[in-house]
Amino acid sequence: MGPSSTSNAGTGKPPPPPRTELDGFLAGAGHKVRSSDLHHVAQRLERLESAMVSSPSHVVSDLTSDTVHYNPADLVSWVDSLLSELTHSYHHPNNSSAPTSSTSSSSRSLPVDLDDLFAIPSAANNWLQPEMPLSQPPQLTVFTTMEEDSGIRLVHALMTCAELVQRGDLHLAGTLVDEMTALLTRINTGCGIGKVAGYFIDALSRRVSGAGSAPASPHETEILYHHFYEASPYLKFAHFTANQAILEAFEGHDCVHVIDFSLMHGLQWPALIQALALRPGGPPILRLTGIGPPSPDGRDTLREIGHRLAELARSVNVRFAFRGVAASGLEDVKPWMLQVSPNEAVAVNSIMQMHKLLGPDPSPIEPVLSWIRGLNPRIVTLVEQEVNHNQTGFLDRFTEALYYYSTVFDSLEAACPVQPDKALADMYLQREICNIVCCEGAARIERHETLAQWRDRLNRSGFRPLPLGSNAFKQASMLLTLFSAEGYSVEENEGCLTLGWHSRPLIAASAWQASPLSAAIAGGDN
Amino acid sequence: MTRDKEEKRRQALCINDHVDILLEILKRLDGRSLCTAACVCRLWRALATADSVWEHLCLRRIASPGSSVRPVVSALGGHRRLYMLCVRHLLTRLGRDPGSSSAWDELQLSLSLFCVDYYERLGGRFGDTAATSSLMFLCKPVNV
Repeated sequence: MGPSSTSNAGTGKPPPPPRTELDGFLAGAGHKVRSSDLHHVAQRLERLESAMVSSPSHVVSDLTSDTVHYNPADLVSWVDSLLSELTHSYHHPNNSSAPTSSTSSSSRSLPVDLDDLFAIPSAANNWLQPEMPLSQPPQLTVFTTMEEDSGIRLVHALMTCAELVQRGDLHLAGTLVDEMTALLTRINTGCGIGKVAGYFIDALSRRVSGAGSAPASPHETEILYHHFYEASPYLKFAHFTANQAILEAFEGHDCVHVIDFSLMHGLQWPALIQALALRPGGPPILRLTGIGPPSPDGRDTLREIGHRLAELARSVNVRFAFRGVAASGLEDVKPWMLQVSPNEAVAVNSIMQMHKLLGPDPSPIEPVLSWIRGLNPRIVTLVEQEVNHNQTGFLDRFTEALYYYSTVFDSLEAACPVQPDKALADMYLQREICNIVCCEGAARIERHETLAQWRDRLNRSGFRPLPLGSNAFKQASMLLTLFSAEGYSVEENEGCLTLGWHSRPLIAASAWQASPLSAAIAGGDN
Repeated sequence: MTRDKEEKRRQALCINDHVDILLEILKRLDGRSLCTAACVCRLWRALATADSVWEHLCLRRIASPGSSVRPVVSALGGHRRLYMLCVRHLLTRLGRDPGSSSAWDELQLSLSLFCVDYYERLGGRFGDTAATSSLMFLCKPVNV
């Protein structure tokens, strides 16, 4: 393995790099090797390692021996010979066995008959790298290539499986799920595509087997929500932006009433109470009505949160009253429960709740929007996920979800190294994924829709948009600079704000008010 | 010669005898120096940990903060805690781009985050064991 290779044409090897000082020393010591060869050795050792990991034990034990090399030139040829031995001893076809048989080694080559199912569906083309050689026969080289290839195979397999589910071919889909689970063992499932794929494979297997997803208890949901709040800027962005809009809408009013469609731990309201305390002219009288699920074990969580908020309001001298409305869903809430009085300014706040009302006909969204409008609110703040997960076709929905949640998980990875926040935040998202993929009909509540769709819907239901203003934008930008990950971006979209990761918007905040009744109706009343 | 020395000794100033001057000096320090000053001696500690000095530090860049800020901050835990938890992180992170936001906006953001922290601490008193600090994200180093 000398440094001078005269014929490059046949092998296609790049021209040898120039001699460095180190090469001079090595040559002086009598070793016919270049320092740049070490890079080649390192690569080969990596490949050797992955080959040894993935091959059956009897092959590897044949190769092991104690060797000591004194001459660095020997290393290169030794590694090369080991690698070729390993390749030859493993390169015999064992594809005739059925996919679900032997469990001895986790890295069998994939059965040939399923390869034709890995044809790329057209939906995947627009954002995946197309140059994946799927038709190559299963050889050792498949296992020694980088993890990225396994990731891409996995994504293609996911799409294929989703298409099978849409077609109704659940048996084949189930087989594919098993194959994907096997493929998962080869890649890192702690982060990146492995983690997201793992969640989607789990959701698909639940769908195929009919197991469905277990509904979470409200207590669990609150805890997961809290950890998601801490692990990422999405909820903080939602709260702060909505609060800023509400603060501006309440200017000049002395009696204000906020209706929160999902109280959770009430994390949104301390900041608003504090801002109202400091507003020029002094704080108004604040009433808060929090809607939440009924507590199963006799604890009145709504009332506890109310107490906490009242304590805070008392510390900063804001006159405050709280009322809790226990309802398992927004469709069960009737306007009389909210006890809105005529002289107060009303704000309706919905953070990722409205999409739950978009279920199958009769869909409760229209009646709810109608009674909201009936309250004549000064402002309605709406924050929703910026993606369409409400398509009727399963494959389209699945594709959107895969793209969307990959981006969200990417952003979480960068923003939050703190465990256990991250693990619980992941679980929060995993539940959403499970609901989107496994459930249908009334059980599927995560029916996200895009800002454009919400705009359309609200315009038709008698609302008009209220632009969020530059203060909200400034605050959101400031908030983002505090997060250590440098991929987040706040964008303004026709008076609404979106927070995204690397210019893909993930969550959108908008504000609305009731549009005035048409002149004909107003004239008729007079 | 000795008379000169005696005169010099008479004119030497012991700062601890002039607490008002000391206070004026401490008010102009940055956070880190103030913490260091608090380690000097008991008198300096008493002065440097007083909330009024930290109030000065927090509101230094605000032209006219108004009288309503102080009682709110005191109720939520005091200016020293406000500075340590929120203001100093904002100053370092946002200091990179000074023209983009006003000092008052930054203070407002600090106050909002401070209020969330107070609320979460209240949670501990009300028996909510799941409450963890949502301001942890401020303490993480920034990836440049």
